[in-house]
Amino acid sequence: MKPLVIEKVNQVFGTGTARVHVLHDVSFETEPGTVSLIMGPSGSGKSTLLSIAGGLLTPTSGMVSVAGEPYSDRTKKQRDKLRLDYIGFVLQAYHLLPYLTVQDQFTLVDKVKSTGNLSADELAEVLESLGISDLVHKYPPELSGGQQQRVAIARALYPNPAVILADEPTAALDGPRVQVVADLFKSLAVEHGKSVVIVTHDSRLTDVADVIYEMKDGYLTQKE
Amino acid sequence: MFLALKEIKKEKIRSGMIIAMIALIGYLIFILTSLALGLARQNTDAVNSWGIDNITLNDSANVDLRQSIITQKQVGNLTADQALLGQAPVVVKAKDHANTSAAFVGLKPDQFIAKNLKVSSGHQATRVGEVVADDSFKTKGYELGDTVTFNDFSRKFKIVGFTQGAKLNIAPVLYGRLSTWRQLKGNMPGAYASAIVSKDAGYRTKANGLKTYSKATFINKLPGYSAQNLTFGLMIFFLMLISLIVIAVFLYILTMQKLPNYAVLRAQGIPSKMLVGATISQSVLLAAAGLILATALTVVTAFAMPASVPVAFDVPILASAGVGLLVMALLGSLIPIRSVLKVDPVSVIGG
Ligand SMILES: Nc1ncnc2c1ncn2[C@@H]1O[C@H](COP(=O)(O)OP(=O)(O)O)[C@@H](O)[C@H]1O
Ligand SMILES: [Mg+2]
Repeated sequence: MKPLVIEKVNQVFGTGTARVHVLHDVSFETEPGTVSLIMGPSGSGKSTLLSIAGGLLTPTSGMVSVAGEPYSDRTKKQRDKLRLDYIGFVLQAYHLLPYLTVQDQFTLVDKVKSTGNLSADELAEVLESLGISDLVHKYPPELSGGQQQRVAIARALYPNPAVILADEPTAALDGPRVQVVADLFKSLAVEHGKSVVIVTHDSRLTDVADVIYEMKDGYLTQKE
Repeated sequence: MFLALKEIKKEKIRSGMIIAMIALIGYLIFILTSLALGLARQNTDAVNSWGIDNITLNDSANVDLRQSIITQKQVGNLTADQALLGQAPVVVKAKDHANTSAAFVGLKPDQFIAKNLKVSSGHQATRVGEVVADDSFKTKGYELGDTVTFNDFSRKFKIVGFTQGAKLNIAPVLYGRLSTWRQLKGNMPGAYASAIVSKDAGYRTKANGLKTYSKATFINKLPGYSAQNLTFGLMIFFLMLISLIVIAVFLYILTMQKLPNYAVLRAQGIPSKMLVGATISQSVLLAAAGLILATALTVVTAFAMPASVPVAFDVPILASAGVGLLVMALLGSLIPIRSVLKVDPVSVIGG
């Protein structure tokens, strides 16, 4: 079963003269343990596609399913649950709750999802590999931007989702850091078996990609 | 609850300020409520102690006991459930005491009010010239056996007993004989009593020129009573409103700051229910903490308050005021909850 399948998705915003057709018959699917890169200039529809893949936005037409479960015939609440179970979002703006320690960011997940989360040992391992083990009792405002991003990545991994969706994860990073984050996403795929989808216009990430798509004016094509 | 507690714990200064604000407002509500109740009791204690259902007055007296005069003919036949009383305002004078304004209430010793009168010390008045006085005379330094005079009235009266909670329209009451009341009225021809009071709910006067009023009507018409209650009621209402606004504004600001965080949590699949729950629990926790402080302040005040201040700390009534404040806290979280429910997780995608 494919972790994420997107079939003939169209997205239209607005009506009349304000009508914009943002996505045109977009289809793609992911395999476990791979990194898919969706490249494209700003305004080409990448974020819209990511919102649809994560079930935040219902497409005008087309089908999206996660772990074999289509979003379409689910209520809003059930889509929340699907997202909680199968999707890990790594967003450009991390927005970690400032009044929760790093540890409590994970505890919060336990409050709404009691099973299937990483065990304490697994979490410790993830934190170790992200190099943030000794930050667990700190509050986000006490961390650097890079540390916050790594906490956000750990937070996305904690519910043990099959799919990781990342929106412009390197947008705010300089040269050397980009490589670190790229390697990190690679290891999520290789070591943790996730299907990683990265949406970006940063060509420095192409090294780690198993599949590269190009998004242009709402049309998605596979490059290699 | 988890999120609310963590936030309150982390944001100690902010939370402390709002708790302090709610505590002060709650304290003011408690004190005003107690003052309102204390004054209300000083108006009605005596009437309530009589155990009556209704009162019959001269129908041109504007439901004012002091203005009512009824004749013997109008009284007609009474049963054991009815009693006559005559009220006259008096200035109580005694050696070594400042003059005191009081209400003289004349009773017939064989009727139920005189018979049921409970003395806290001394004994009931058995003779003409003996009076039973409100306990407040005792706090003013009067003792059993003291003699007093009324206004310019030459006759002397002896205090033979004290009774608790004998207050009529703020004035302390002296119970004596109905015949004394007639003398105080200058033996006005036809003045037999001020009122007929009845324990029997079915009693209605048939006499011309008299009218029977329910106890509630009579109390509401006590001079100043309704206006006073209205004033206090309004003050308490506005304090409640202020607490509602304070809580709502505070929560609104806090919640607005968190909406981007909430949008991320929503994108990650955290249900809105949890975020709404956090807002409600935050509001209730802050209000409850404020209330606990307010209660502590009120208890301290209750002990420190001199006996002469007319306050009555009534636990059930104060508790309902507290519940009212909690309800305000819940209402105050409604607007922030609306914003929480409207959070759109798509907004955080794409930066
Ligand atoms: N809610 C919306 N209503 C109208 N137009 C939108 C909306 N969301 C996105 N768009 C438009 O869709 C296009 C693609 O946007 P987006 O997916 O954010 O692109 P990218 O992430 O590739 O920069 C843009 O032209 C944008 O203006
Ligand atoms: Mg974008």
